[in-house]
Formats: sequence, C-alpha cells, structure tokens
Amino acid sequence: MANSRYDLAIIGSGPGGYVAAIRASQLKMRVAVVERDRPGGVCLNWGCIPSKALLNSAEAMETIRSAAKEHGIETGEVRVDFPRVIQRSRDAADKLQRGVRYLFKKNKIDLYEANGTVAGPNTVALAQAEGKPAPAASEIEADRILVATGSTERLLPGMKIGDGVMTSREALVHDRLPESIAIIGAGAIGLEFGYFYQAFGSKVTIIELEKQMLPGVDAEVAEEARRQFVKRGVKVMLGHGYKSMARNGERWSVALDSADGEKAVDAENVLVAVGRAPLSKNLGLEALGVEIERGGFVKVDDSFRTSCESVYAIGDLIRPPLLAHKASAEGIAAVEIMAGVREPGFDLLSIAGCIYCEPEVACVGLSEAEARARGIEVKVGKFPFRGNGKAVAINEAEGFVKFVVSEQYGEVLGCQIIGHHATDLISEVVLGRTLEATTAEFGRTVHPHPTMSEAIMEAALAAEGEAIHI
Amino acid sequence: MSNEITMPKLSDTMEEGKILRWLKHPGDEIHHGDAIAEVETDKADMVLEAFEDGVLDELKLKEGESAPVGAVIAMMRAPGEASARRAKPAEAPVATAIPVEAAAAKPARPRIAEKAPAPEAKPASEPEKAPAVARKATVNAPPEMEEEEAGPPAFHPAMGLHPSAAPTALAAPPRQPLRIVETPEVEPEGHKLRASPLARRAAEEAGVDLEHVRGTGPDGRITKRDVDNYLREQQMFKFRRLVHPHEGAPGSREELSSMRRTIAQRMALSKREIPHFYVTVEIDMEEAVRFKKSIETTELFEEDITYNDMIVKATALALGRFPRMNASFENDGIVIHPHINIGVAVAIEDGLLLPVIRECERLALPEIAAVSHRLVAKAGHGGGGFTTGELSGATFTISNMGMVGVEHFAAVIVPPQAAILAVSAIKEKPVVRNGQLAVGRTMMVTVSCDHRIIDGIVAGRFLQELKRFLENPASLLV
Repeated sequence: MANSRYDLAIIGSGPGGYVAAIRASQLKMRVAVVERDRPGGVCLNWGCIPSKALLNSAEAMETIRSAAKEHGIETGEVRVDFPRVIQRSRDAADKLQRGVRYLFKKNKIDLYEANGTVAGPNTVALAQAEGKPAPAASEIEADRILVATGSTERLLPGMKIGDGVMTSREALVHDRLPESIAIIGAGAIGLEFGYFYQAFGSKVTIIELEKQMLPGVDAEVAEEARRQFVKRGVKVMLGHGYKSMARNGERWSVALDSADGEKAVDAENVLVAVGRAPLSKNLGLEALGVEIERGGFVKVDDSFRTSCESVYAIGDLIRPPLLAHKASAEGIAAVEIMAGVREPGFDLLSIAGCIYCEPEVACVGLSEAEARARGIEVKVGKFPFRGNGKAVAINEAEGFVKFVVSEQYGEVLGCQIIGHHATDLISEVVLGRTLEATTAEFGRTVHPHPTMSEAIMEAALAAEGEAIHI
Repeated sequence: MSNEITMPKLSDTMEEGKILRWLKHPGDEIHHGDAIAEVETDKADMVLEAFEDGVLDELKLKEGESAPVGAVIAMMRAPGEASARRAKPAEAPVATAIPVEAAAAKPARPRIAEKAPAPEAKPASEPEKAPAVARKATVNAPPEMEEEEAGPPAFHPAMGLHPSAAPTALAAPPRQPLRIVETPEVEPEGHKLRASPLARRAAEEAGVDLEHVRGTGPDGRITKRDVDNYLREQQMFKFRRLVHPHEGAPGSREELSSMRRTIAQRMALSKREIPHFYVTVEIDMEEAVRFKKSIETTELFEEDITYNDMIVKATALALGRFPRMNASFENDGIVIHPHINIGVAVAIEDGLLLPVIRECERLALPEIAAVSHRLVAKAGHGGGGFTTGELSGATFTISNMGMVGVEHFAAVIVPPQAAILAVSAIKEKPVVRNGQLAVGRTMMVTVSCDHRIIDGIVAGRFLQELKRFLENPASLLV
C-alpha cells in the first residue's frame, strides 16, 4: 500500500468522497481515500443519518400520543428512555459506517485513516489523526487529487460551544432531554431539532434573524411551516437577531435584538443552528495557489477543477446548497468528467432541498419569486393535501404541492412540497426535470389511487387550470 | 409490388437528364398526370409526369444530380402497399427500365416504366434475364441512398463520450457537411430521434427541425438547452416590442434597446467573422414590369403580386440551382440546408425584423405573395403576433430598399447564412436594345457572400440565373 501511485486520491470520505471513490473504481481508476475521522463523514456520523433516526423516534412518539386521541387506542402512561433514543441513533450511524468500509473493500479502494493535506499537485501528505494509529505511509502520490472535506458547524462571533451550548453534533449525543431549549436559526437543522425536542416534550423556542422561517425557501411554504410549528406549541421568534448569551444559574439567557427592542430567552440548553461553513483551511490549498472564494468556498470550473490543474473539489467545499446528495452527485460527475465519459457542467437547480421535520419540506428548482425575479413568465399550480384522498384518510392533510412552470411551454421550473412524506414525493418531480417533462407529462402520468403522489399530478394540472379535485 | 421510375428520354438527342427539383416526395400520393419532377435536358427543362397512380416510395437521385436515360430515378409503390425500401433496406433495385425505343416513340410524354415482378419473387440467380438496358442502368445509376447512409458516419458529439451509445448515435449524424441533405421524409433506417418533451415543444413552437439540433444529453438526447443554443445560432433578431420610440435628439445619448443591441452584436459578429465579398448585376426589369401589370389587369391571382414577391420567387428558383448559396458554415463544415427559407428584412421603428417565408422551394408565386404579405402586415403592426418560427430559421435573406429609391447598396450577411441579396430600386435608364438606344427600366442587385462557403464564380452564376428568371418572368409561374 505504501509508496504507491494512484490514479486518484480523495481527501474526505463523506457522501461526496466515498461515492466518488466507488464510481472512480468502477471506471477502472486506482483510488485512495484519506479520512481523519470515521468513513461516511458528517452525513453518516453526525448529520443526515443519526438525525433521521432521532426524528423517526419523534414521529413514533407523536403517533403514540395521537393514537389515544384519534384511533381510539389506549396506551396508558407513555414514558421516554431518552438515552436509549440517542443510543438508537448512534447504532444506525455505526451500522452505516461499517457499510462504507465494506464498500471500500469490495471496490478495492485503499482507505488511509489519517489527516490528509495537499502537499503538491500530485501529493497528499498523511499525518497521524486524533485517536488513530500512525498512518502506513507519510504521503501518497496520485495523478489527480479530489478534495472532499465538506463543512463544519458555523458559529456566530463570540459563541462558545460547551456547558449546555450545543451545535447539532453535540446534540446528537446529548442524552439528557432538556426541559427547555432555545434554537438559534430556523433553517433545516433548527427546524428538525425543534420538532424533535418538541415531540419529546421540551419547551422549544426557535429564533431567526430573517422575517421568515427557512430563509430562501418559497414564502408560502415557509409560512405553512411556521403555522404548523406554532400549532405544535413551538415558540417562533422571527426577525430576532442573536446578540449574546450568558449563564444564568442552571439556565442560559440569550439576548436578542429585534424591531421592538431587546429581548431575552431563557432555556436549559442552547442549540446553535446558523448554518455550516466549508472546511477549506489547513489543507495546503492556499500554498498551491488554489483560489478560495468569499465564504471559504473553493473555486472550481465546470469540470470541478480548482485553479491547480490536477486538484479537484466537490460538495460542501465548493458551493451551496450544502447537501449530502448534491455532494454525491458532484462526486460522480467530477469522476466521470475526469474519465471522459460525461460532458462538463452540473445542474444545481435539479438538486432538491429536503427538511425532515413534520411536516416535511422538499423543494427543487426555482421558487415562484425566484422565477419571476429572473423575468420568466410563470404559471403556478397549487394543490392542497386536503384534496387528496390518502392524505385525508391517514389524517395528514396539512400542506400542499406547488408547481412553478413556464407560461410558454409548461416547463417545470420548480416545485415545492410541504406535508407528510414530501421528501419522498419530490423525487418524481426531480426525475421529471431531468427528463424535461412538462406539465402535460405530469398530468398524463396516471398516478395510483389512493396515494399522496396524486397531489403531484393534480398540482401540475392546476398550473394549466385543469386540476380535477379542487 | 414496387414500380421503378426511370429517367425518360425527353428528346431525340437526350442521353442523360438532371433532376432540377422533385415536385413529389416520398410518401406523397401520385395520380396519373401529376408532375413528379423537373428535369433538365440538353434542350430544355421538362416536367416529368406520372403515368399511373401510386405512392412515391423513394428517390434515387438528388436534386441537381444527373442520370442516363433509362436509369432508375425513383421507386413507387401501389397505393396501400407497405414501403419496399423500409422492408428491405439493403436490397439493390432490379432495374427494368422501359426500352429506349419505346420511350423514344413518345418523346413528348415522360412516363413511368412498369416494373417487372417484385424482387422477392425473382430468384437471385437470374439477373441475366433482366433486359440489357436495365443492367446498364443499374451500373450507371448514381450511388443508392442506402449506400450513402452506410457510408462513413459524420461526427457525433456522443461518439467519444459514450461507447455504449455508438449504434444509435452513428445512425443519426446530425450534420452532413458538403452534402445536400435529403428531403426529411427520407429518414435513415433505425433512426429514432431522441428529444425531451420540453425540447420537442420548444422546437415545435420555434419551427425548428430537431434533425438539425445537436443533442448533448445522455446518448445524444436533445434537451431544451440544445434547442435554445440552436436558435441562438440561427436567429438573427429576437423580437421584442419596443417600449418607446427612439428618436435620437442631437447631443443626446440613448440606451440600446434590446433589438438595437442584438443588431449591434450580430452585425459586428458577421463582419468580424465572415469574409464578405460582393457581386453586382443590373437586371432589365422591363418584362417584369409588364408581367406584374398583366397579372394585375387580368386578376390572375387573388393576391396582388409585388416586385418583392417576384424577387423572392426568382431567388428561390436560383437558390434551388445553387444550393451552396443556401448554406451555413458550421464547425469547419458546410451545411447545405434542406429547405429554402427566405428571410425578408422589414424595417420597423428603430430596428429590423426578419420574417421568414419557409420552404420557398414548394411555394408558387401567389403562395409566396400570400405568406409574405401576411408577415409584412404583422411587422407593420409593431411586430406583435409573430410566432418564433416566423422569425427564425431563415437560410437566405433579401434586403429590399427599392421603395426608398436606392441606386445601389450591399448588405451585411446574417450569420450563419451564406449570403444576402441587396435589392435596389427599379430606375429608368438608357439601355441598348437591338443596337438602338432606348429608355429601359433596370434594377441593381448585389449579393454579399461568405467566401468560406462560396467562391466568386458561384455567386456570379447565381446572379446570372436570378437575372434570367426576372428577365423571363413567365418562369416565375412554375
């Protein structure tokens, strides 16, 4: 393994790096992956997967609670073993992490568990990583280097993690259910943890600087999300900027700025969820002349090539949206472009953004406002789940599907869904975008009854004024 | 059972004939007496008429190609019968042309030879039983279309990218440089045009033939972006309604309207990239003036005919004979367009529109007049109501400044077209007729050509042809 020359060396084994490695191996490249932590990256270990396990527990809790009321099922007293909730989530992460190791072995990919930095256009230096043995080699050589180091939790100036102040990473292993929690940031992570803690009975306050939840998401969807959270008992404070926080006995006091003056929120824990920042520092990139843009994102061209010819980058490191599936898709694209089996370019507008709280939110392409801002003449089709038989039958009739299509051709410019299983429903629309289906194809595709997916068809028809059930 | 159509002997001295124009296309129903093609002989241009009913199946000769008398020039099948060509694409036709003597006996009557038994009924081991003339015809016949399609594939973008894509991609070469593209009805075997629903819709609305669009999706699939890129290449002026008039006040600076900007970009691009050269002829319009008057007085057509309509018709006829003038320089190749789509520059407030009269090769003079007048009227209403297809896809442009009394001018080529014709006013001038000085009416026309595609001699001959048509306006009634 030592002193060998590879076709491709990948730094980082998150959903971008490990997927790129497997695809590269399929394309007959000799591949090495360097990982300083656990294979699978943040997604598997500290993000998507463990958080979905927690949300699944929260849903179970909600179902049991609603069961008594709605289904006429008596449960008696419901008690929660919170450490077990957390442990279940860790188990899921461990299982998948082992899966990634297996995939590396199966695809004959060499995994170096070390701290990798780019030491030259074709050299990755390996240093001993925390809690790992010394690496088998001090450096590896490769024709191309793919940097896929991803991102880390962003903090605001003056914030310190610890003593009850957490980011999502700490929260994932924090096995004491807080009586109350203040969540700073109403993006995807803030909403998911807000829903989770609320479901288990914490008093949750969500604080957001912007005037809407989910900044950047379609305003109607954001407003529906706010309504649903408030209905569940979450306190939502929009237009409130974080100023500072201080220990106040057993609790934390968070000072806020707003149009109506200063306010304070007291809570047992504080969760900082103000976004993520790319990990482009201390990788040796600057020394190599790799251009780094505002916000710390590494600049790449259409082929994912950085300003150093043999060094490529993908995923959270290069541009938003910071999403696992975007990183995987970029990883595959980058490797295929290297191998010459794909034309350069990548359609970011076909990357769906998904939020897994209840109700789920899923968006792809342009929102109505974004499309109009681009000067496109649009038609909008909206279909509420209360018009959908299945949604009503399973008592998940909140939310809607919204299609934004071009006036000219019925081109699907974007689609926003808020409601039960929205994140599963959106894939149909993403496929439609890939195939460049128009409203006509969505409308003519016979959707099975009764399913939530009928709402997709109806919303597409609604854009043409032809929805049946509304 | 298919029948062969052979090159008829149209005069005593005729040895070979050249197809000027196919008037029927594969799939067209043909009835006794229908004109099928225009044929140029050593004596004159003649029309080939059908002798029996059927469906035109296949063309063996392209426009502009010649074949000896008796050679198979097209295949025809009985009405309702399946296409023999599609069923047996690789099969060489068994030629059984009419005996030369038989044709010579009816010199004025072009005819279709009755074909012998269907190929499958005839044992392959008995070719010697075919008439002598037939064998000769087979040998002398120009390359069959099948052979041509099986020839070296044109470049396809997907080739280097997706090895698995090769078969379909190769069967559908998007560009065939330096080759007259066959009528689109004749699709290569196994050709499946792959395009997304959105791309189809956009192409349909813009009047784009997807055959010409290069697909960049998986396995060469055509996406909307490909159609957009094609339109961007083809389209000169994308119409936008002007918000307010742009009267240039002295000393003022005005912002470019989007149309002005497009004109600026396209024209600068044209002069930067296209090596222009210019050829001018003077055309005697005496006969044309008389012709126009006679049409008006006799009310021969419902539609009035303008000089411009006559020029469009004459240009279309001349372009039919010089396909190189109806071409584009693209990716180091020359694409000869399958149709003659003539753009007519129309001045509007602070700008130009270029409405397109499509497929002029199929339009008679009154049809050209009708389309042209409808388009010009739309332009007159500020340009509203045009479909994208009516403003894009021109393969040749005519700019006529006759109505403002221009003596002579030259125009800038609209990329990616090969040439543009600048038409000046008809003026009274002293001319020499039969050695006598007389007052005549003449018109100057100048063609600007892309030297990468056209050489001076071709431009000169094209103008000669145009001049011949306009000076003999009866030819415009074809």
